[in-house]
Amino acid sequence: MRINVTVNGIAYEKDVAENRTLLRFLREDLGLTGTKEGCGAGECGACTVFFNGKTVNSCMVLAVEANEGTIETIEGESSGGMLSRLQEAFDRHHAVQCGFCTAGMIMSARELIHHTPHPTVDQIKEGLEGNFCRCTGYEQIIEAVLDVTGGYTAKEELIHV
Amino acid sequence: MRHQFSYTAPTELTDLLTLLETVGPGARLLAGGTDLLVNIRNGLVKPNTVVDVKRIPEAHAIMSDNTKGLRIGWAVTINDILRNSDIASSYQLLQTCAHDLASYQVRNRATVVGNIVNASPCSDMAPALLCLDASVEIASSKAYRTVPVRQFFTGVKRTVLKPDEMVIGITIPIQSKGAKGKYRKLKRIQGHDLGIIGVAVARVGDSLRIAVSSAAPTPVATGALPLDITDSEALAAVDALISPISDVRCTKEYRRFMVSEFTRRLLAEVRS
Repeated sequence: MRINVTVNGIAYEKDVAENRTLLRFLREDLGLTGTKEGCGAGECGACTVFFNGKTVNSCMVLAVEANEGTIETIEGESSGGMLSRLQEAFDRHHAVQCGFCTAGMIMSARELIHHTPHPTVDQIKEGLEGNFCRCTGYEQIIEAVLDVTGGYTAKEELIHV
Repeated sequence: MRHQFSYTAPTELTDLLTLLETVGPGARLLAGGTDLLVNIRNGLVKPNTVVDVKRIPEAHAIMSDNTKGLRIGWAVTINDILRNSDIASSYQLLQTCAHDLASYQVRNRATVVGNIVNASPCSDMAPALLCLDASVEIASSKAYRTVPVRQFFTGVKRTVLKPDEMVIGITIPIQSKGAKGKYRKLKRIQGHDLGIIGVAVARVGDSLRIAVSSAAPTPVATGALPLDITDSEALAAVDALISPISDVRCTKEYRRFMVSEFTRRLLAEVRS
């Protein structure tokens, strides 16, 4: 089926198989390999992208569903070669180890901040509950989100998650 | 995924229902896809046509009326429920249950109707819908009927739906002032997890209702119990409803014990 889809502000017209997931379409047809496949079943959140302004697990969306839709991925997060504030905070707090979960974490964190500009630690945990980090550096990730939303104090004791 | 199928996304309900009749059991309806697409990927279902039901505008409607109650369209997502102010003020139990369903991204896609049509014993929305005496609106190209949620489930992953039928909405009667409901789900972790068991207790009018998930082939609920029922009578009524199994998550004895324990705690909360 032929689809028209806007990804990170660029309009594409592509032929895509009906059984192709949005994730495969992004990675293999558009070459946007920042978005990762972890579990393929909506458990891990590594494949999180924005679909029409809401975060979804792209492994559980068909590419054809995105026809006439808008997608944003990690490749659209920085602009003009400059990291976003959220990306900078992840960098500053060492919230990236192997990096496999990072793209999805950034997407979910952005959605959280959009709805809750000054989240508490509990709200951050809930906003990121669908994103697994197996390295694991949840504390640093939570610190990064707190930092970018003005809630971070260096001495704050974070409860282990 | 390896299995191949055709995809269609009707923009009118009548077209959708006609299609369902023509294609028959080979068609599968795609709403949030959080169950269907995983099942196709795992080879558990092999549809020849996937019918996307989200391109019809009324699918997304939540209508709240002071006399008729609440109506939820067939593609209303779990996060739509959580963001709706009418539901927040008058149907809190729905939000409490919605809040415990999977993860944020899944809640952005998963639908209330999909959660009951999937008919998993561990459905998170079923306890709320059972307690609030919801009805399921079912349509085919030829007929329309409504079925109370308590008669909707017939077994594990089985419902009263026929191959040419689909659920087009869920209605919930208006809740009286003082209505109160609580849900508690036992999980291995605080975050995103399937329930080991779940219990909802609601005060509806001058009666109590108790619903349980993950402890029988289907979600189950008591009928209307008197408000002044003793704890032991209420616990006996719940115990008679359930038939838990032992599996990878826990033993049937533990399930039975925790259903009682959660019921006891929730009764105290609802009565306070």
